[in-house]
Amino acid sequence: MARFEERTAQRWIRVTEEQLDTGLADQFLRTERAGGITLFVGTTRRFTDGRETVRLTYDAYVPMAGAELQRLADTAADRWPVEKLVLHHRTGEVPVAEASVIVGVACAHRDAAFASARWLIDTLKARVPIWKRETFADGATAWVEGQLPPPDRPGD
Amino acid sequence: MAESTSTTEPATLTVRVLLFSVLREKVGARELEVTLDSSATGNDLLDHLAEAHPAVAEHRGALRLAINQTYAPHETELSDGDEVALITPVSGG
Repeated sequence: MARFEERTAQRWIRVTEEQLDTGLADQFLRTERAGGITLFVGTTRRFTDGRETVRLTYDAYVPMAGAELQRLADTAADRWPVEKLVLHHRTGEVPVAEASVIVGVACAHRDAAFASARWLIDTLKARVPIWKRETFADGATAWVEGQLPPPDRPGD
Repeated sequence: MAESTSTTEPATLTVRVLLFSVLREKVGARELEVTLDSSATGNDLLDHLAEAHPAVAEHRGALRLAINQTYAPHETELSDGDEVALITPVSGG
Protein backbone atom coordinates (compact mmCIF):
# COMPACT_ATOMS: atom_id res chain seq x y z
CA MET A 1 0.00 0.00 0.00
CA ALA A 2 1.10 3.55 -0.62
CA ARG A 3 2.40 5.71 2.18
CA PHE A 4 2.27 9.40 3.05
CA GLU A 5 4.79 11.40 5.03
CA GLU A 6 5.29 15.09 5.74
CA ARG A 7 7.87 16.16 8.28
CA THR A 8 8.80 19.73 9.09
CA ALA A 9 10.20 21.33 12.25
CA GLN A 10 6.64 21.88 13.54
CA ARG A 11 4.73 18.82 12.45
CA TRP A 12 5.10 15.19 11.50
CA ILE A 13 2.25 13.53 9.61
CA ARG A 14 2.34 9.93 8.37
CA VAL A 15 0.12 7.22 6.98
CA THR A 16 2.16 4.03 6.94
CA GLU A 17 2.04 0.25 7.15
CA GLU A 18 4.95 0.31 9.60
CA GLN A 19 4.53 -0.15 13.34
CA LEU A 20 4.00 3.20 15.05
CA ASP A 21 6.63 4.36 17.50
CA THR A 22 5.35 6.44 20.43
CA GLY A 23 8.93 7.05 21.59
CA LEU A 24 9.85 8.75 18.33
CA ALA A 25 6.63 10.77 18.44
CA ASP A 26 7.43 11.92 21.99
CA GLN A 27 10.99 12.86 20.99
CA PHE A 28 9.71 14.88 18.05
CA LEU A 29 7.27 16.79 20.27
CA ARG A 30 9.92 17.93 22.78
CA THR A 31 10.64 21.64 22.65
CA GLU A 32 11.66 24.22 25.21
CA ARG A 33 8.59 26.28 24.28
CA ALA A 34 6.19 23.57 25.48
CA GLY A 35 5.00 23.15 29.05
CA GLY A 36 2.69 20.27 28.24
CA ILE A 37 2.52 17.42 25.75
CA THR A 38 -0.59 15.35 25.16
CA LEU A 39 0.09 12.02 23.47
CA PHE A 40 -2.97 9.97 22.56
CA VAL A 41 -2.36 6.41 21.37
CA GLY A 42 -5.23 4.43 19.87
CA THR A 43 -4.72 0.67 20.15
CA THR A 44 -6.47 -2.50 19.05
CA ARG A 45 -8.77 -3.68 21.86
CA ARG A 46 -9.32 -7.40 22.38
CA PHE A 47 -12.96 -7.39 23.56
CA THR A 48 -15.85 -5.34 22.19
CA ASP A 49 -19.29 -6.13 23.64
CA GLY A 50 -18.02 -9.53 24.75
CA ARG A 51 -16.72 -10.50 21.30
CA GLU A 52 -13.03 -11.28 20.92
CA THR A 53 -11.02 -9.42 18.27
CA VAL A 54 -7.63 -10.77 17.14
CA ARG A 55 -6.68 -7.94 14.82
CA LEU A 56 -7.89 -4.89 12.93
CA THR A 57 -7.09 -4.33 9.27
CA TYR A 58 -7.11 -0.75 8.01
CA ASP A 59 -7.82 0.32 4.44
CA ALA A 60 -7.06 3.92 3.50
CA TYR A 61 -7.32 6.33 0.60
CA VAL A 62 -3.73 7.18 1.42
CA PRO A 63 -3.04 10.44 -0.49
CA MET A 64 -6.33 11.96 0.61
CA ALA A 65 -5.93 10.69 4.18
CA GLY A 66 -2.58 12.52 4.24
CA ALA A 67 -4.18 15.67 2.82
CA GLU A 68 -7.02 15.50 5.38
CA LEU A 69 -4.54 15.06 8.23
CA GLN A 70 -2.72 18.16 6.94
CA ARG A 71 -6.02 20.08 6.93
CA LEU A 72 -6.66 18.93 10.52
CA ALA A 73 -3.19 20.07 11.54
CA ASP A 74 -3.76 23.45 9.85
CA THR A 75 -7.09 23.94 11.63
CA ALA A 76 -5.69 22.90 15.02
CA ALA A 77 -2.83 25.38 14.60
CA ASP A 78 -5.36 28.14 13.81
CA ARG A 79 -7.42 27.37 16.91
CA TRP A 80 -4.81 26.62 19.55
CA PRO A 81 -1.26 27.82 20.19
CA VAL A 82 0.28 24.56 18.99
CA GLU A 83 4.08 24.38 19.16
CA LYS A 84 4.47 20.92 17.66
CA LEU A 85 2.11 18.28 16.37
CA VAL A 86 2.20 14.61 15.41
CA LEU A 87 -0.49 12.71 13.48
CA HIS A 88 0.41 9.12 12.60
CA HIS A 89 -1.97 6.47 11.30
CA ARG A 90 -1.10 2.89 10.55
CA THR A 91 -2.65 0.89 7.69
CA GLY A 92 -2.86 -2.84 7.02
CA GLU A 93 -2.98 -5.31 9.89
CA VAL A 94 -2.78 -4.06 13.49
CA PRO A 95 -2.71 -6.89 16.05
CA VAL A 96 -4.27 -6.60 19.51
CA ALA A 97 -2.54 -4.06 21.80
CA GLU A 98 -0.59 -2.43 18.96
CA ALA A 99 -1.08 1.23 18.04
CA SER A 100 -3.18 2.22 15.03
CA VAL A 101 -3.04 5.96 15.62
CA ILE A 102 -0.93 8.53 17.45
CA VAL A 103 -2.09 12.09 18.05
CA GLY A 104 0.47 14.26 19.81
CA VAL A 105 0.40 17.96 20.60
CA ALA A 106 2.94 20.14 22.39
CA CYS A 107 1.70 23.48 23.75
CA ALA A 108 2.92 26.07 26.23
CA HIS A 109 0.10 25.09 28.62
CA ARG A 110 -1.82 21.87 29.24
CA ASP A 111 -5.34 23.19 28.55
CA ALA A 112 -4.53 23.80 24.89
CA ALA A 113 -2.60 20.52 24.64
CA PHE A 114 -5.57 18.49 25.94
CA ALA A 115 -8.23 20.41 24.01
CA SER A 116 -6.44 20.29 20.66
CA ALA A 117 -5.53 16.60 20.97
CA ARG A 118 -9.13 15.76 21.85
CA TRP A 119 -10.42 17.73 18.86
CA LEU A 120 -7.83 16.14 16.56
CA ILE A 121 -8.65 12.51 17.41
CA ASP A 122 -12.43 13.13 17.31
CA THR A 123 -12.24 14.95 13.98
CA LEU A 124 -9.79 12.41 12.52
CA LYS A 125 -12.27 9.62 13.27
CA ALA A 126 -15.10 11.58 11.66
CA ARG A 127 -13.50 12.65 8.38
CA VAL A 128 -10.21 11.03 7.42
CA PRO A 129 -10.82 8.39 4.69
CA ILE A 130 -9.63 5.32 6.58
CA TRP A 131 -11.69 2.20 7.33
CA LYS A 132 -11.15 -0.66 9.76
CA ARG A 133 -12.23 -4.27 9.50
CA GLU A 134 -12.35 -6.49 12.58
CA THR A 135 -11.20 -10.08 12.49
CA PHE A 136 -12.78 -12.01 15.36
CA ALA A 137 -11.41 -15.01 17.22
CA ASP A 138 -13.91 -17.27 15.41
CA GLY A 139 -12.51 -16.15 12.03
CA ALA A 140 -15.45 -13.92 11.07
CA THR A 141 -14.68 -10.44 9.73
CA ALA A 142 -16.70 -7.22 9.67
CA TRP A 143 -16.12 -3.63 8.56
CA VAL A 144 -16.65 -1.35 11.54
CA GLU A 145 -19.69 0.91 11.29
CA GLY A 146 -18.28 4.40 10.86
CA GLN A 147 -19.23 8.05 10.55
CA LEU A 148 -20.25 9.79 7.35
CA PRO A 149 -17.78 12.67 6.91
CA PRO A 150 -19.31 16.15 6.87
CA PRO A 151 -19.14 17.73 3.39
CA ASP A 152 -17.36 20.89 4.52
CA ARG A 153 -13.82 21.61 5.61
CA PRO A 154 -12.69 20.66 9.13
CA GLY A 155 -13.70 23.30 11.64
CA ASP A 156 -16.34 24.91 9.39
CA MET B 1 -15.54 16.06 -51.45
CA ALA B 2 -18.41 17.95 -49.94
CA GLU B 3 -17.99 16.17 -46.65
CA SER B 4 -18.00 18.43 -43.63
CA THR B 5 -14.76 18.63 -41.69
CA SER B 6 -16.48 19.84 -38.56
CA THR B 7 -16.97 16.40 -37.06
CA THR B 8 -18.25 17.39 -33.66
CA GLU B 9 -16.54 15.53 -30.84
CA PRO B 10 -19.00 13.64 -28.69
CA ALA B 11 -19.45 15.83 -25.63
CA THR B 12 -18.34 13.44 -22.92
CA LEU B 13 -16.01 13.30 -19.95
CA THR B 14 -14.23 10.36 -18.36
CA VAL B 15 -13.53 10.04 -14.64
CA ARG B 16 -11.59 7.54 -12.58
CA VAL B 17 -13.69 6.15 -9.73
CA LEU B 18 -11.89 4.80 -6.64
CA LEU B 19 -13.48 2.27 -4.30
CA PHE B 20 -12.45 1.35 -0.76
CA SER B 21 -13.37 -0.94 2.10
CA VAL B 22 -16.85 -2.47 1.86
CA LEU B 23 -17.58 -1.11 -1.63
CA ARG B 24 -14.30 -2.40 -2.99
CA GLU B 25 -15.16 -5.87 -1.68
CA LYS B 26 -18.74 -5.89 -2.91
CA VAL B 27 -18.06 -4.41 -6.35
CA GLY B 28 -14.90 -6.48 -6.71
CA ALA B 29 -12.77 -3.63 -8.11
CA ARG B 30 -10.46 -0.93 -6.79
CA GLU B 31 -11.00 1.37 -9.67
CA LEU B 32 -13.55 1.96 -12.44
CA GLU B 33 -13.46 4.22 -15.46
CA VAL B 34 -16.73 5.91 -16.29
CA THR B 35 -17.60 8.04 -19.30
CA LEU B 36 -20.52 10.43 -18.91
CA ASP B 37 -22.14 13.37 -20.64
CA SER B 38 -19.87 16.42 -20.35
CA SER B 39 -22.43 18.23 -18.15
CA ALA B 40 -22.47 15.36 -15.63
CA THR B 41 -22.49 15.95 -11.87
CA GLY B 42 -21.60 13.68 -8.98
CA ASN B 43 -25.27 12.66 -8.81
CA ASP B 44 -25.21 11.58 -12.46
CA LEU B 45 -22.12 9.50 -11.78
CA LEU B 46 -23.86 7.84 -8.81
CA ASP B 47 -26.97 7.15 -10.95
CA HIS B 48 -24.76 5.47 -13.52
CA LEU B 49 -22.81 3.44 -10.95
CA ALA B 50 -25.94 2.44 -9.00
CA GLU B 51 -27.42 0.98 -12.17
CA ALA B 52 -24.31 -1.05 -12.95
CA HIS B 53 -23.43 -2.09 -9.39
CA PRO B 54 -26.14 -3.04 -6.85
CA ALA B 55 -23.65 -2.43 -4.02
CA VAL B 56 -23.43 1.26 -4.96
CA ALA B 57 -27.23 1.49 -4.93
CA GLU B 58 -27.27 -0.22 -1.54
CA HIS B 59 -24.78 2.22 0.01
CA ARG B 60 -25.88 5.36 -1.81
CA GLY B 61 -27.87 6.66 1.15
CA ALA B 62 -24.67 7.03 3.21
CA LEU B 63 -21.99 8.02 0.78
CA ARG B 64 -19.74 11.05 0.46
CA LEU B 65 -17.88 11.96 -2.73
CA ALA B 66 -14.29 13.12 -2.78
CA ILE B 67 -13.29 14.81 -6.01
CA ASN B 68 -9.54 15.07 -6.54
CA GLN B 69 -8.99 14.26 -2.86
CA THR B 70 -11.38 16.83 -1.38
CA TYR B 71 -14.92 16.18 -0.12
CA ALA B 72 -17.43 17.70 -2.53
CA PRO B 73 -21.25 17.90 -2.71
CA HIS B 74 -23.05 15.42 -4.99
CA GLU B 75 -24.19 18.37 -7.14
CA THR B 76 -20.61 19.25 -8.14
CA GLU B 77 -20.04 19.29 -11.91
CA LEU B 78 -17.40 16.81 -12.95
CA SER B 79 -14.46 17.49 -15.26
CA ASP B 80 -12.68 15.17 -17.63
CA GLY B 81 -9.89 13.34 -15.81
CA ASP B 82 -11.31 13.84 -12.29
CA GLU B 83 -10.46 11.28 -9.62
CA VAL B 84 -13.70 10.57 -7.76
CA ALA B 85 -13.64 8.43 -4.62
CA LEU B 86 -16.78 6.93 -3.12
CA ILE B 87 -16.40 7.38 0.64
CA THR B 88 -18.59 5.16 2.82
CA PRO B 89 -18.72 6.10 6.54
CA VAL B 90 -15.14 6.23 7.79
CA SER B 91 -13.81 4.33 10.82
CA GLY B 92 -10.19 5.28 11.28
CA GLY B 93 -8.50 5.82 14.60
